[in-house]
Amino acid sequence: MTLYVVTGLVVGSVYAIATLGLVLTYSSTRVFNFAHGAIAYFLAVVFYELTVEHGWDGRVAGAATILVVSPLLGLALWAVLFRRLADTPPPVRLVSTIGLWVALPALTRIVFEGDRYERPSMVFDPPHQYRLLGVGVDSNQVAVVVAAAVIAVAMTILLRATPFGLAVRATVDAPRMAAVVGVNTSLVSAGAWMVGTTLAGVAGVLLGSYRGFDEVQFTFLVLGSFAAVVIARMHSLVLAFAGSILLGLVQELSKSTRVTDFLGGFVDSQSVWVRGLPASIPFLVMLVFLLAYRGLGRERFVVAAPAADDDDAPPTRAPAAWRRILPVVCCLAAVAVAPAFLSGLWEGIVAKGLALGIVFLSYTVVTGEGGMISLCQVTFAGLAASVTADLATNHGMDVLVAVPLAALAAVPIGLVAALPSLRLGDLYLALATLAFAVLVQNTFFELDWVANDGVGIAVPRPEGFGDDLPFYYLLVALFTVTAVVVRNLKRSTTGLELAATRSSEPATATIGVSVERTKLFAFGASAFLAGAGGGLYAVYGGFADPDQYDVLIGVVWLAVVVTWGVRSIAGALLAGLAFAVFPQLVTEHLSSTWRELPTVLFGLGAIGLAREPRGVVHQVVHGHRDRRRRRVERRAARAAVAAP
Amino acid sequence: MILEARDVTVRYGGLVALDGVSLAVPDRSIVGLIGPNGAGKTTFFGVLSGLVRPRAGTVALAGADVTRRSPQARARLGLARTFQRLELFGELTVREHVLLAHRQGRGSPFTRFARDLVGLGARTDPEEDAAVTSVLELFGLAAAADRPAAALGLGTGRLVELARAVATRPRVLLLDEPSSGLDARETAQLAEVLRRLRDDRDVALVLVEHDVEMVLSLARRVTVLDFGQVIAEGTPDEIRADAAVQAAYLGTTT
Repeated sequence: MTLYVVTGLVVGSVYAIATLGLVLTYSSTRVFNFAHGAIAYFLAVVFYELTVEHGWDGRVAGAATILVVSPLLGLALWAVLFRRLADTPPPVRLVSTIGLWVALPALTRIVFEGDRYERPSMVFDPPHQYRLLGVGVDSNQVAVVVAAAVIAVAMTILLRATPFGLAVRATVDAPRMAAVVGVNTSLVSAGAWMVGTTLAGVAGVLLGSYRGFDEVQFTFLVLGSFAAVVIARMHSLVLAFAGSILLGLVQELSKSTRVTDFLGGFVDSQSVWVRGLPASIPFLVMLVFLLAYRGLGRERFVVAAPAADDDDAPPTRAPAAWRRILPVVCCLAAVAVAPAFLSGLWEGIVAKGLALGIVFLSYTVVTGEGGMISLCQVTFAGLAASVTADLATNHGMDVLVAVPLAALAAVPIGLVAALPSLRLGDLYLALATLAFAVLVQNTFFELDWVANDGVGIAVPRPEGFGDDLPFYYLLVALFTVTAVVVRNLKRSTTGLELAATRSSEPATATIGVSVERTKLFAFGASAFLAGAGGGLYAVYGGFADPDQYDVLIGVVWLAVVVTWGVRSIAGALLAGLAFAVFPQLVTEHLSSTWRELPTVLFGLGAIGLAREPRGVVHQVVHGHRDRRRRRVERRAARAAVAAP
Repeated sequence: MILEARDVTVRYGGLVALDGVSLAVPDRSIVGLIGPNGAGKTTFFGVLSGLVRPRAGTVALAGADVTRRSPQARARLGLARTFQRLELFGELTVREHVLLAHRQGRGSPFTRFARDLVGLGARTDPEEDAAVTSVLELFGLAAAADRPAAALGLGTGRLVELARAVATRPRVLLLDEPSSGLDARETAQLAEVLRRLRDDRDVALVLVEHDVEMVLSLARRVTVLDFGQVIAEGTPDEIRADAAVQAAYLGTTT
């Protein structure tokens, strides 16, 4: 038991260091950095490379990583990304850092190839061993705890008792006023990001040397620190620290035999419910606090609206109907004639893209129309895929019946996942869906009948569509039907209600629209679409493999969809095709080093949203209109200057 | 009484925003609510429209207790409001604002979802068109009907909020600072529109205003709030003569 207290304190201290960095950057810039863990991982790998591959002394490598590389990385990221985010709408802010979360680890794998099995130590090598209350404690563990405590104190002093802290608080409350009274707000936010990134570096280096450099494990450990950020309500340093330590303790203690034995009294102690518990604890805690805290929905981002006093401007006419459906009609036509030109392999790749396109239409509903960032669409897809496979293979149901049935089964799950959306604003909802997705992944996806020894349940092709070409056209038809339904929805009363809810919930409610019902409907419909697409994706692949529906893959999906345009149906289709086609192109034409290139590009695309929030499709179709308008405006401005 | 609030109390932490405030609104009447900044007027509107839960007190709408009912339920019972800080639906056109408000409370939501999915939900029938157009014309918004709200100026935006509220066919309409941002001519037009709402559409109005003269000229009865308490209640003439009101507005000690 005491052993777990020691490891719990150490894990909690790492959480605390990561959490303090997140709290600092959020409370000084109002940008929640989903990429915090990715940054920590990148810096941990830099440390590993320096010490293991280049033979630097652990202490030198650690100091170089933390004191030189980290602040420089923070400065660079601030210059290219974070700086721009201050004036963007909240969903764009979220998605941009999610893009970084996608791109950075993939980039890390390209730059630093190979596996990392060694455990370089940063501080003491070899560590001194002590005995404390009957358990062995080594000096590196002590160093981690001490580092966390020192950082917590230093951060408190920095924010409470220094001119920098005062400038930070002023900048957060009123950036323009702070600038007016002489605060260099750029310097403040650059400084905050440098410190935040440095703390990510400390957490990364310590976590790496303590728990190893396995990327997936690392990522989920750092994701756990999001729970402490929630406990701290994004602001409180004290709660962030205490919450982190508590989280670490609870998480480690849940591994002790006393706890597993106790749980074994209720369920089989070898079952996923017990095995998945330690990894799930941060996410359980996060959900509990999200639901328990009152008034989180009111903690909204205030976005300065651009001055909208141009009554004299010519009315911006909506583009004609044919122009709006032109992109999707062109894409579908191209897809329909494509098999004539494609090899069997590529035909399959495009078919995969079509199935994914249906999944991605679910983002069009929930994020595009509903304005809610959901990180659990992949979970709906995975759940429905497993149910589809089970119904078809184990119960002999026709696949074309099983897919919609399984998608229907995803709807209540979607409604449960949507419950937090009734109370929570953008950021907290995104965190809640993330927690939900991780919890389902740690439990349901690990069930024996779902995982099926890591290959998933086999799914047959539907009767009469066994050959590739008929199946291809089946998918084209199903995508078209789904697209028509989504388009109907966008143009209908429900679509208006979603648009209204997105803009102003109080106004929507006071004209008699139930905001709750509207949001639940968006989530329910999107769960159905994600489920149907997920089922078809499994049918295409032949297996309902939970690994294909990993939370982190879902994050990439979101990045791809928003890159191509989360508001447009063509965007969903192109995103599906891109997700399927790019990796195959890279496999065929580039060496294996570049395997991760598509992921980097997907992430960069989402980061690029800070410039064009409406996505690539909008840029291509309407960009010329925007450019023409800007040209006219420039000319008018020049004329105004030239006139006496 | 179409709307009646009794002893409404709201606390934010230790701060008492409203302390036992009561207000009665007779059918087809205009009632004014005035008070200095921070008196609690907007909070009181929040309580009336269901956006703010009161610590104590009751709100009755057309005789039914609605204290625990949601904002949308109150809207369906005939309560509508506008906002001091504009709360428009930026991406919707002016016509869509009115259309959406007009469609509320018609038909079961579930049959409507079904119609929406198969593509029947986008059409408007002639009767609906006529109703929407008449509301747009009442507020002189016909020319701006197809412009997105995000592109509107403040004055037009206020009118769109009013049009949206009126399109729900309310029996009582809460107006939070409808004349702020309007010039003198627009304010006079607004006053005329408000009178017509009362006379032609049988709507009772509750008016929160900075423009005290406008309230005193329109309202049958006026309530004055200061620091969350009612300091005066009466006809416009009584309010004009009230010493406590003058003290609250002019800051003189009595």
